[in-house]
Amino acid sequence: MASVSAVFSNDRAEISRLAGLAERFGQAQQLSDDEVMAINLVLDEVVTNVIDYGFEGFAGTPEIRLTMTLEGDELTILVEDNGRAFDPLQAAAPDLDVPLEDRPVGGLGIHIVRSVMNTVEYDRRGGRNVLTMHKTISRA
Amino acid sequence: MEMFQSTTDAGILTLTVSGRLDADTTPRFGDALNGCIEQGNHKIILDLAGVDYISSVGLRALMVGAKRVAPLGGKIVICAPHARVLKLLELAGFTSILPIAATRDEALERLR
Repeated sequence: MASVSAVFSNDRAEISRLAGLAERFGQAQQLSDDEVMAINLVLDEVVTNVIDYGFEGFAGTPEIRLTMTLEGDELTILVEDNGRAFDPLQAAAPDLDVPLEDRPVGGLGIHIVRSVMNTVEYDRRGGRNVLTMHKTISRA
Repeated sequence: MEMFQSTTDAGILTLTVSGRLDADTTPRFGDALNGCIEQGNHKIILDLAGVDYISSVGLRALMVGAKRVAPLGGKIVICAPHARVLKLLELAGFTSILPIAATRDEALERLR
């Protein structure tokens, strides 16, 4: 089993740190470039969402905690934050069949996360938002 | 993330982007694209051959640009996206609303 954890602040500049972390984890675990990119993308989407929406009107010290665990081919990503209660899974799935002029510009992030990961679950625990995601890694 | 722009014949502008289009870097890209549109460039080739990563924030910037030029009779053509970027464009349903060309020549054809 391999595991990595890190804490991030609510600053978009943290996104490049996330990319570095995904890359180092992927290299250490000998994951394919496609899998590393998929993991990077999921971390990016989830953490960007928290940074942009999780701390509106928040008075405390923002903290986003990431834990990533690989057991065999089973990857678990846990993202916790101490911001306001915010369930990103409540966002309606985007309608991908409407023409450009009618297409809303938002809602793609969580759609990407749901598409990349096998399962995504939200919970509010002890004043924290907890997003738990699982994916079976492809070694091909 | 790096960008440079060049104008070709018939007022077609090419914006070449390389690196990552994520939440941190995309605002600069979005500003550059908006700047091009505000200068009157409504036919734009967006050469993404050097972009190896795009998140939903980057995708959103592409859509915002396309939505801005469409009512002006313009068009943004995505050119030579990396296979991983193309996969994301497909996942986001962009391949049905944004023209995608494999080469610069094909992109030019689509805009002439």
